[in-house]
Amino acid sequence: MKDIENRLKQEAKRLLESGEAEVVLAYGRGYDEKHPMPYAAKAVSDVDNIVFDEYCTFNMTRYLTEYPLGTKIAIAVKSCDSRTLIVLMQEEKVKREDIVILGIPYRDMIDSKTGKAIDNSTACNLPNPVLYDILLGDEVTERDDGSPYDVLKELEEMELDVRWEFWSKEFSKCIRCYACRKACPMCYCDPCFIDQSQPRWADKSPSLESNLMFHLTRFYHLAGRCIDCGECSRACPVDIPLHLFHKKVSKECEEMFDQVSGMSLDDKQVMVDFKMEDSDEILL
Amino acid sequence: MEFEPKILGIACNWCTYTGADLAGTTRVQYPHNVRVARVMCSSRVNPAFIFRAFQLGSDGVLIGGCEPGDCHYSTGNYYARRRLAITKKILEFAGLEPERFRVEWISASDGIKFAEVVKEFTEEIRALGPQTKFKVKKDIET
Amino acid sequence: MLKKIGLEKLNEFVSALIEKGTLFAPVKGDAGVDFQEIKNAGDVTLDFYNTLQSPKCVFFPQTDDMVRYRLKKETTDIEEISLDFEPRIAFGIRPCDVKSFEIMDKLFTRGGIVDPYWESRRKNTTIMGYAFDAVDPADFYGAFGIHAADTTGSDVFMVKGEKNLLLKAITEKGEKLLSSVDTLEDALEEDRKYFEERLKKGAELETRTLSLEGVAGKLRDMFGSPYWEKVAAPCLNCGVCTFVCPTCHCFDIQDETLFGEGTRRKIWDSCMFTDFTLEASGHNPRTQKSQRLRQRVNHKFSYYVTNFEVTSCVGCGRCTRSCPVNIDILTVVEEAVESV
Ligand code: SF4
Ligand code: SF4
Ligand code: SF4
Ligand code: SF4
Ligand code: SF4
Ligand code: FES
Repeated sequence: MKDIENRLKQEAKRLLESGEAEVVLAYGRGYDEKHPMPYAAKAVSDVDNIVFDEYCTFNMTRYLTEYPLGTKIAIAVKSCDSRTLIVLMQEEKVKREDIVILGIPYRDMIDSKTGKAIDNSTACNLPNPVLYDILLGDEVTERDDGSPYDVLKELEEMELDVRWEFWSKEFSKCIRCYACRKACPMCYCDPCFIDQSQPRWADKSPSLESNLMFHLTRFYHLAGRCIDCGECSRACPVDIPLHLFHKKVSKECEEMFDQVSGMSLDDKQVMVDFKMEDSDEILL
Repeated sequence: MEFEPKILGIACNWCTYTGADLAGTTRVQYPHNVRVARVMCSSRVNPAFIFRAFQLGSDGVLIGGCEPGDCHYSTGNYYARRRLAITKKILEFAGLEPERFRVEWISASDGIKFAEVVKEFTEEIRALGPQTKFKVKKDIET
Repeated sequence: MLKKIGLEKLNEFVSALIEKGTLFAPVKGDAGVDFQEIKNAGDVTLDFYNTLQSPKCVFFPQTDDMVRYRLKKETTDIEEISLDFEPRIAFGIRPCDVKSFEIMDKLFTRGGIVDPYWESRRKNTTIMGYAFDAVDPADFYGAFGIHAADTTGSDVFMVKGEKNLLLKAITEKGEKLLSSVDTLEDALEEDRKYFEERLKKGAELETRTLSLEGVAGKLRDMFGSPYWEKVAAPCLNCGVCTFVCPTCHCFDIQDETLFGEGTRRKIWDSCMFTDFTLEASGHNPRTQKSQRLRQRVNHKFSYYVTNFEVTSCVGCGRCTRSCPVNIDILTVVEEAVESV
């Protein structure tokens, strides 16, 4: 891991020096060892502040859309993060030629809030980045972890009413701080539908009903786009397992449209695409 | 009081809405439980309309568009098919009975099909009973 | 007056408190412990470090109804919401949070305008403070002269020992409450000793700290500094830090109407949200996240000091612990001051 940090610093320094990148999006020190922070290095002198350890869970692609199109950016990405890049490129939010991708071959990061390892029940947890220019270490070997959708089994098998109980209890907890939305690299809309006043899609008070409106619509907006980084759930102060719902929507998308989000730049996203031969059976 | 389902219908202007009109002008009988809103194309249907309709007290939602291949805007309903399919999965995973949501392709000349779908759907919803899960908990007259 | 109750009899005591008024106390949920109105005595827990959200909800709930209405053709029927609240008891409040009430009082009652929603609840609430027995690395209440077993501001102060909960009446209000509950026993000499010892130990526990001297002025002076851009870079502009904070008090007023019937309510708002300063014209004077983070920090550590002579932060550490990207307000202030 120290090796990855060193390589990251090396590359950051080189890219900033040569002008290939105006900014390097990586991780920096936080208020203590277990709490690093997202970090944007803009000068060679910033490079020393870069760190990498198992608590660097942030999906740095979240910050890409804050820079004007055309900014030369180098970015450190882990596996799911690299999938986000593909989605953002498909959406023309960033251009492939503007980004230098520093791939981090590392998995089983640790959520600093819970102290638990992130695995494929809370994220995609692929071993290696899918897209990169420079890999900061040796590829991680494959391992049979099962499907990232295995975790859904329990919810899928629940009786409808029991599942409603489950989600209505979860959504009742929501305080509408919008950390889930703000942590999500794909939620870059300004304004977000929930902040619109004409029309007002839901009340501002955090009642179960208005929370439901927010979350269901957001799940839909992420259909075929979410790449299962799990940032939404990790950001949530009241621990609503949003990632489970997103996983389910992704799973359905894969089954119906035979495509995994953020895996190839050549794909067209399933929700802005169709096939003549799509079957009406998907509507049943 | 006996339960009378309240159903929101959203129909595209060129096919289903015209079909509904035809059902009316040719005096085909169908239950009055579906209130139809007209949109230009089934692809105009934002899934948030559907979530909102359930919040405001709909017991069921019926979306109608042209037969695949017949959309006035050529491909609108192909997109709609994917969107509405995902919407249905979302409703179901949240715990709402998926039967409360239905999509039908009904052509402009098919007043009979419109009436039949409405009849069948109304009876299905009647059997399911009132939709209370998503409904805003308030005594609202709808 | 020092009283005690065996920890195994906590339920009985809590039941007795429920009789005395609306009780707010810590309850364990999935994500952590939070203050809730108590219906079942068994829900209350004393085993927590500090609650996820602050106890401001006792006086300032996230949504607070002001008036209900029904729109008619020509007139509108109005039903005002009564502010005659039953007596309230806020149970298990940590010393730093107790201090936050006093800071909020200044804004809600002494700024020349009295907020009846805050005041009517505040004046008939009995506060039962609760000593910390450890320090979390995010906390820095020591910077404000508060210590882990500080009794200031509490009506009753509680210390949890191995077997007993010790309760000391600090004010007359507290004395009245304690003497009206007969499930409590009188404390013995050894309890008295233990209580005093815990207060002493509390005063010795060290949190992170910061010298407040000159901070307000320095922050004001560096309003235009590029520092803010740098420090706000990781910020997501979510509302977590302000929602969990005991001294954040911004609210919006919304008419929530459905089919002609509705409620006008106060709803928490946050200066970290993009639309917080959005004007009806569409103009937004605060478009950058650096401006928003600066507002949060400066409001607490500078503007509030100018207005009310007190920093609007008690160092409870909640914003730091809950921030999804680990922004720590103490570090932000420290580095700001150093950067001048
Ligand atoms: S919805 Fe959640 S898991 Fe999906 S991309 Fe956004 S933050 Fe990541
Ligand atoms: S919820 Fe939808 S509208 Fe809001 S930011 Fe996310 S994608 Fe955009
Ligand atoms: S982060 Fe959690 S509490 Fe905040 S809006 Fe999202 S789901 Fe609700
Ligand atoms: S400081 Fe942290 S909690 Fe506050 S708005 Fe920024 S990211 Fe959210
Ligand atoms: S600013 Fe942070 S530390 Fe200070 S009172 Fe608010 S939540 Fe606590
Ligand atoms: S116009 Fe009927 S579905 Fe497009």
